[in-house]
Amino acid sequence: MSRLLSANVLLGIAPIALIIALWQGLVSFGFAPAVLLPPPGFVFGRLLQQLATWTFQQEIAATLIRLFAGFAIAVVLGVSIGIAAAASPAINAVVRPIVRVLAPLPKVALYPALLLLLGFGHGSKVTLVAADALFPILLSTYYGASTVEQKLIWSAMAAGTPRTQILFRVVLPAAMPSILTGCRIGLVISCIVVFLAEMITSTDGLGHALVTAARTFQAVDMFVPLITISLLGLILNALLGALRSYLLRGFPEA
Amino acid sequence: MKAPQNGRGSNDVSHGCENRRLSGRLLAKSVPYAKASDGMTVVSARPSEWVRPVTSKEPASAIIEIDRVSQVFQTSARRDHVALSDISLTIEERAFVSILGPSGCGKSTLLYIVGGFVTPTSGAAKMKGQAITGPGPDRGPVFQEFALFPWKTVLGNVMYGPRQQGVRATEAEAQSLALIEMVGLKGYENFYPKELSGGMKQRVALARTLAYHPEVLLMDEPFGALDAHTRTRLQNDLLNIWERDRKTVLFVTHSVDEAVFLSDKVVMMSKSPGRIREVIDIDLPRPRRRSELLLDPRYQKYVVDIERMFDESDEAGIAS
Repeated sequence: MSRLLSANVLLGIAPIALIIALWQGLVSFGFAPAVLLPPPGFVFGRLLQQLATWTFQQEIAATLIRLFAGFAIAVVLGVSIGIAAAASPAINAVVRPIVRVLAPLPKVALYPALLLLLGFGHGSKVTLVAADALFPILLSTYYGASTVEQKLIWSAMAAGTPRTQILFRVVLPAAMPSILTGCRIGLVISCIVVFLAEMITSTDGLGHALVTAARTFQAVDMFVPLITISLLGLILNALLGALRSYLLRGFPEA
Repeated sequence: MKAPQNGRGSNDVSHGCENRRLSGRLLAKSVPYAKASDGMTVVSARPSEWVRPVTSKEPASAIIEIDRVSQVFQTSARRDHVALSDISLTIEERAFVSILGPSGCGKSTLLYIVGGFVTPTSGAAKMKGQAITGPGPDRGPVFQEFALFPWKTVLGNVMYGPRQQGVRATEAEAQSLALIEMVGLKGYENFYPKELSGGMKQRVALARTLAYHPEVLLMDEPFGALDAHTRTRLQNDLLNIWERDRKTVLFVTHSVDEAVFLSDKVVMMSKSPGRIREVIDIDLPRPRRRSELLLDPRYQKYVVDIERMFDESDEAGIAS
């Protein structure tokens, strides 16, 4: 089992190592000048150095706060609206058309309006992240909640659970696999969108650090935020994965 | 005592008027049962069985009354499909009653109506004289699909009912542990349903339902998804448990052997539309032992005769 796991880990690392090798190759064989495309060793060295500085830590903190706040709002809204729509045909009738209209809309297009309304601080970015992460969570919650096995609900009702509590005692836990799948997609979207928003207009955050470095041709500093956000994404995804396998320990598919 | 000269005397079954001719024919056919049960009550020495109705404080009274229940579904082609047509049936307290019929005869729907999960299109079902309006802990279902809560352990599943009934956690746990032991799953308390075999899952489902002390068990082809070996073991265990505390059981099955082996009474249904064809008293001694029963000519006769009746109706269906 552990042998199999380590073999899989090795297989997973291989393409990442290949990309880094390719990157190194591009610089070493002179396809790209080192000033514009710094070698990976140089970038990782700079990353470690930056991680120790207070200013860079603050950039990370700003990005993480926006990411978590936006994602948390999306989870709360997405799960509650999704469950409510699955539970009540009336709510479903209200929610369905507006979701159909808003879901395919590129939420980044709202960003200029959000900036004008909410300013350059956290508010505009948090709202954008929440708006973008909301729909995958909402849709998968709705799907999960509306496909709960009827006989689970009947079993609970026969055991004396009132109709009003069925939602919390049966529907929500039974829909948990779908909800967490939606959350996983929502989290990846959150990472992308928070970075994007900071790149477009911001006074701090990792995206802002990248744009600032790019505008002053500091190639090394440009790559550091990029690597940082992918590492953050990796860590957050692993944490969510651990939460998922804990919450779904009884489910066959987990 | 009810009139013993007719094995069907105690059944309050009223067929639809248009069914009169058919049921009349079947009545004539079922005379051998009446004779068989007559002979048995006289010949076989079963003092305990014989005395029971006299010593019990109250006579067997109706616990469930199904009164002219019909169920019509809309098919996808917007046609009306009559799943149940004018069903009337009375089930007595502490009886083990099987509903036997081909798939699609509406036997599960009938069970769901008694459970309060489905509201009939017309007619009414009553439990102890009260109209059934929804599910309640007095009627405990056991489904073919087990329907265990996947996010709860075996113990968590069994404790669910008592906790919903307001039993204190420590007490509910003690009761549930005893039940888990009774269904033969001691040591599996902290397993999740996905880690158990089908037979074990159904044992948990039975324990979960017994845990809130329903007066009636509603079993919907509970052993239908199990292999033959597991099936017979669970049938034996169910009988042992039932013969201990004699709850009323309504048991839906399509297996003739299973129905005869377990039941006091077999309700035969025919399909399209779902109707009661025949109600047969199974007058076999209890406690029943599988090894004895399979060799018993009376058991064999019940099985063969019921199968023959189904075959005849199939042929009639093809001819018409």
